[in-house]
Amino acid sequence: MSEDLAFWLSYITNGKHLTWYASFQFTIFAALAGGMLAVIFGLAGATLKNSRFLPLRLIGTIYSSIVRGVPDVLFFLFFPLAFEQAVEWFIASQVCTPETIAAQSAAWPPCKEANWFLGTPEYLILASVSLGLVYGAFATNVIHGALRSVPKGQLEAARAYGMSASQVLWRVHIRQMWVYALPGLSNVWMLIVKATSLLSLLQIADIVLWADRLGAPNFLPAVGLVHDDWRWRYYLVLFVFYILVTLLSEKAFNAIMRRAGRGILSEAR
Amino acid sequence: MDTFLNELGLFAPAVLFNIYFAAASIPLGFVFAVLLALGKASSNPLISRLSRGYVYAFRGSPLFIQFFMLYSLALSFNVAVWKPWGISWFVLHPLFIGPLVLTLNTAAYTAEIFYGALRAVPRGEIEAARAYGMSGRQQFRHVIWPNLIRLAWPAYTNEVVFLFHATCIVYFALPVIGMQKDLMITAKELFERDYNAFLHFSVAALYFLVVSLVIFFLFGLVYRRLMRHMPAAPGLRYAPKWLR
Repeated sequence: MSEDLAFWLSYITNGKHLTWYASFQFTIFAALAGGMLAVIFGLAGATLKNSRFLPLRLIGTIYSSIVRGVPDVLFFLFFPLAFEQAVEWFIASQVCTPETIAAQSAAWPPCKEANWFLGTPEYLILASVSLGLVYGAFATNVIHGALRSVPKGQLEAARAYGMSASQVLWRVHIRQMWVYALPGLSNVWMLIVKATSLLSLLQIADIVLWADRLGAPNFLPAVGLVHDDWRWRYYLVLFVFYILVTLLSEKAFNAIMRRAGRGILSEAR
Repeated sequence: MDTFLNELGLFAPAVLFNIYFAAASIPLGFVFAVLLALGKASSNPLISRLSRGYVYAFRGSPLFIQFFMLYSLALSFNVAVWKPWGISWFVLHPLFIGPLVLTLNTAAYTAEIFYGALRAVPRGEIEAARAYGMSGRQQFRHVIWPNLIRLAWPAYTNEVVFLFHATCIVYFALPVIGMQKDLMITAKELFERDYNAFLHFSVAALYFLVVSLVIFFLFGLVYRRLMRHMPAAPGLRYAPKWLR
């Protein structure tokens, strides 16, 4: 029994496993940064959608509705690749000479000097922005709806007190908007958490990639831990991890909603 | 223009795989979801707990992980079970295991929709049915089910579109066999060949968009048929719900 315990203790504290635990930081960072950016993009999108200037309103509407017809995974993959290419194209227009372009044999970038190498941190930031853009479109709809559900009387009362337009917006409208937006935003947060499992598609050594490597069958003690194909166990751990995150987020959002709903008629919630 | 048309031709066989995955998992997922929704509403605590747990687990975890988990689980049974039975070529084939996982996933989401609709069925109608002396089965067949499906249909349409979109990660988790590639793999391989991200991903997006609109249209037709007895028939409006 105690030998078993000692074995498992040394198993889960093996150096490779420690790397796996460390890689959770990527997932957590992407979720938090993506969530924050999604709210920012959501606020911006909702503002555009409410704009009185037609082209801006169109931009907001197109932004929020385009995600509906196209899979989020496609956007998530497309944005970092396209951004990298756009930057390389810009660099190429500055540094490439006809000679270097002629010397380049690959299809991209135009010349070797224009190559922009992306490591894990850069990809992680791009992935977070990508998550923010995709789910910001969802948040746009949530916030747009919430802005419209704030009772008109509240805004009229604020105006009657002599508040300026921006004061009404920031002190009354957006303050009260959260109560109506939080249920929807909690759904968006759950989507973002689930989308963080896709980081490995952008060559980030995240928890999924490590689970795959650690679980792969291995019979050479020199290479790593010796076991059969244990991948399903590792994935089961991730499965449970995500369920726990969902559970915790639900609890947290319930607490936040209770707090944000203080002093507001219960029918609003 | 020519490259664009050429590109459309390259993606045409690929979209069939996405449509296959969705079409194979939707009917099965539908049946399973009805059972799960009824299980969730069941008065038997064991059945209710199990259904609740299932729905929570599959809604609370990413489809990507579910794919990896179930595929690696199937792989680990390969030597002991599938090989001796001689069915490993079938069980481990992406065209089998893809729809299987999608079915399990969509069943959980759809069950949640159906469960919500089940609780929204007007109580008065059920009481009236009971007063007429209908048996439980008759109540379900003639009162509860028609109400449920009408209430759930718009949200279910939304879920079907989400499921279709979810088919794009099937081949990121499962092995690609020969020329069997879906839209995302085709786009990715073409991208790796000539690095033209804007063309390839836009064409894939266009295919997804078109099929989504077709789904909205077809399910709108069904909805109109379901609501044909209502005084003001709802028009075919592109009115998507925004969240899964």
